[in-house]
Amino acid sequence: MRIVLADDSVLLREGAARLLTEAGLEVVAQAGDGEELLAQIEEHRPDVAIIDIRMPPETDGGLWAAREIRSRFPKMGVLVLSQYARPSYAFELLGETAEGVGYLLKDRIADVTELADAVRRVGRGESVLDPVVVSQLVGRPRSGADPIDDLTEREREVLALIAEGRSNQAIAERLFITERTVEKHVTGIFDKLLLPVTPDDHRRVLAVLAYLRA
Amino acid sequence: MDSLKRALWGLAILGLVAGAVPLALALVSEQGHQRQLIAIVGPVTGWAFVGTGLYVWWRRPDSNFGALMTAVGFSSCLGALRVATEPTIFITGLVFIALPYAVLYHMLLAFPTGNVRNRFEWGLIAVSYASAIVAHPVQVLFQDTGRSGLPENPLLIAVGPEVVAIISRLRFGIGVLLIAALAVILIGRWREAGPAHRRRLLPVVMSGGAVFALFGTWYLSVLSGASPDLQEWLERARVVALATVPFGLLAGLLHSRMASATAVSDLITRFGDPIPDGRGLRNALAEGLEDPSLELAYWLPHERRYVDIDGQPVAIPEDGAGRETTFVEREGRPVGAIFHDARLTQEPERLRAVAAAVALTLDNERLQAELRARLDELSASRARILRAAHDERKRIERNLHDGTQQRLTSVAMELGMAKSRLKLDPLAADEALGQARSGLTVALAELRDLSQGIHPGILTERGLGAAVEDLAYASALPVSVTATVHTRLDEPVEAAAFYVVAEALANVTKHAQASNVAVVMDHEPGSLTLTISDDGVGGADPARGTGLNGLADRVQALGGSLELRSELGNGTTLSAVIPCA
Repeated sequence: MRIVLADDSVLLREGAARLLTEAGLEVVAQAGDGEELLAQIEEHRPDVAIIDIRMPPETDGGLWAAREIRSRFPKMGVLVLSQYARPSYAFELLGETAEGVGYLLKDRIADVTELADAVRRVGRGESVLDPVVVSQLVGRPRSGADPIDDLTEREREVLALIAEGRSNQAIAERLFITERTVEKHVTGIFDKLLLPVTPDDHRRVLAVLAYLRA
Repeated sequence: MDSLKRALWGLAILGLVAGAVPLALALVSEQGHQRQLIAIVGPVTGWAFVGTGLYVWWRRPDSNFGALMTAVGFSSCLGALRVATEPTIFITGLVFIALPYAVLYHMLLAFPTGNVRNRFEWGLIAVSYASAIVAHPVQVLFQDTGRSGLPENPLLIAVGPEVVAIISRLRFGIGVLLIAALAVILIGRWREAGPAHRRRLLPVVMSGGAVFALFGTWYLSVLSGASPDLQEWLERARVVALATVPFGLLAGLLHSRMASATAVSDLITRFGDPIPDGRGLRNALAEGLEDPSLELAYWLPHERRYVDIDGQPVAIPEDGAGRETTFVEREGRPVGAIFHDARLTQEPERLRAVAAAVALTLDNERLQAELRARLDELSASRARILRAAHDERKRIERNLHDGTQQRLTSVAMELGMAKSRLKLDPLAADEALGQARSGLTVALAELRDLSQGIHPGILTERGLGAAVEDLAYASALPVSVTATVHTRLDEPVEAAAFYVVAEALANVTKHAQASNVAVVMDHEPGSLTLTISDDGVGGADPARGTGLNGLADRVQALGGSLELRSELGNGTTLSAVIPCA
C-alpha cells in the first residue's frame, strides 16, 4: 500500500515513516505543508494520505488539504491525525461520505500495529474514527428521553464500534462473538434508535454519527 | 402681555396720579398743613415706593414684598391728602396719616421674602395696623382741628382734648414698644445673616430703621412734653426719612445684582485657571457665594445618583433646617447639585447666574470624576489580569514539574534499565520498554491537557464555532448551541468568547442544578453577542466567584460588557457583548 505522509515536524514525519515502512507499508513521499502535500499527491497518486491537521498554510492547512484531496480524488484514502480528539473535526471531515476517511488521535502513532491497521482500513475504503471521539459522542448527555439509555451494555459496545467504523466481522473479532450475534445486536440497536437498517458499512457509520451528533 | 403685567401697568398709572394729587393740592392750598414738606416729599415718597414696589413685584411675582412696598406708596399718598384745605379731603388724609408707617412696619418685618416668619411678628403687625386704622381714626373723631389753625374736622362728634390725649398717649406708648420690638428683631437678623445677606439687609434696615428711630424719638418727645420745635423737626425728619426707604432698597437690589455679577465673572475667570484639585470648583463657589458650608454633588446618569468628588454617593439634604439644594442643569440634563445655606435662596438671581456659570465646569468635573472612577476600575482590572496570568504561569510550572517532568524522568530510567538488561535478560528489558511506552503515553496526555488549558488548540485551528461546539460535546449537561458566527474573528475576541462560554458552562454544571443549557452566539457587524442561559435554580451572586470577575476583566479589556441575570428559581443568564469586526 502506497502512502504519502504530511506533517510539519520533520522529526515526527521521519519517525512515522520508519515505523510504517517496518510495518510493511510503502511511504512514497513526505510533505511539510498542505500545498506541498497536494503536489506530492498529484505526482504519486498514493492509496492513502496521512495528514496532521495542524500545519501550514494557516493553522489548519492539514484539514484544508484533506478536504481538497477528498474532492479531487474521491477514491483516495485520507487519514487525519490530530493532537486533540474533537468531534467537530470528525464531523467536518466525514461530511457527506465516510468512505476511506479516518480521524485519529496523534498519539496512536506510538502503537504501530494500530496505526498500520487504520491505514490499511482507510486504504480499503473503510472509515476510522478514534475511540476517544466516539466515547465522547456516545457518552454525552442529551436533553429529554434518550433512547441510548435503553441500550444494553453490549449493544452500547457494538454501537461504539460501529461509530469507530468497524465492520461486523471486526466487531465480532473484537468482542469474541459470532458475526450472527453482531448482526442481531445491530438490528436491536437500530430498532431502538429508530434508524433505518442499511447493509452498507459507510452509510451505517454516517447514520450512527448523525444520530450521536443530534 | 399677561394679566399680572397688565395689572402692574394699571397700578403704575394709578401711582403716578396718586403721587401727583398731593403735589397739586399742596400747590393750590396756601394754608395747607405741612404744605412745603408735602409738596416736596409727598410725591417723591409715593412714586418711589410705588415704582420700586412694582418693579420688585414684577421680578418676584411669588413674593408679597413688592405688593407691600406698593401699598406703602399708595397709603403715603393717602396720608398726604392732609395738605388740602377742603375739609373732607383734609380729614381723609388725617385719618390715614399713620397707615403708611403701619404698612412699612409690616414690610420691614417681612423683608426680603414678603413672608412674616411667625405668630409673634404677625401679632406685632396686627397691633401696628390696629393703632393706625382703628385707634388713630377714633382719636380724630374727638380732635377739633379747626382750633389748631387747620381746616375744620367734618368727622368731629365731640370736642374731647382729654380723649385725644389718652388715645394718643396710648398709641405712642404702644408705638414705642412696637419699635423696640422691631429693633430687637432686626438686630437679631443682622447677627445671623451671612455677609451677602447683610449687604442686602443694610440699606433697608438703615433707612427703615431710621424712620422708626425718628418715629420713636418723636413719640418720646411728645410724651415727655419736649419743645414743639423739636417735635416739629423730628416729624419732618421722619417724613423725609420715609422717602429714602425705597432708594435704600433699590441700592440694596443693585448692589446684590452687581455682587452676583461680580461673583459670576470671578467664577468664570477662575475656571479659566487650572483648577489645582477636585476641590477647586467647590472652593471657588463657596467663596463666590460667600457660603463656607457649600458642597457640590455630581450626577452620574448611568447609576442615577449623586456622588461627591471622590465618587462616594451622597444624599440630597432635606430642605429646611437651614439647608437648600440648587440643581444644576446643562442643556436640559442634570449635571450636579449645589448644597448650600438656605439664606442664599434670598438671592435667587445670583444663585441662578452662578448655577448657569458653573454648569459647564461642573459637567467637566463630573466627566473627570467618572473618568477617574473608570481609571481606578481599569487599573484594578489590569492588576487582576496580571495576577491571573501570574497564577496561571505558576499552575503550569507546577503541573509540568510535578507531572510531566517526573514521568519523563522515570521513562528515561526505564529505557536505561532496558538497555542494560537487553543482552542478559531480554524479558526484563521488554517489560521495561513496555513501561516506558505507557509512561510516555500518559506524559503525552498530560501535556495535551496542559496545552489545552493554556489555549484551546481547536480555537486556533477551527475558530469559535467549532470550539464552542466541542465544549458542548464535552459538557456534562445537554447543551444546545445556536451560532451565527461564520467567519474567523480576531483571536482575542474568539478567546474571550470561548472562555465566557467555557466558564459559564462550568458554573452551570457546578452550581445551577440545571437540566438544559442554551448557548447563543450572534455575530453582527461590529459586535459579538453571547448568551448562555440555563433552566436551573438561579440566584447566582455575581460578586461570588473570581471566575466571573476574570471573565468581566477579559471582556472589558476588549471594550465589551458582561451581565449576569439570575433570579432565584428562574434560571441564570450570562450575556456578553464584545465589539469586533
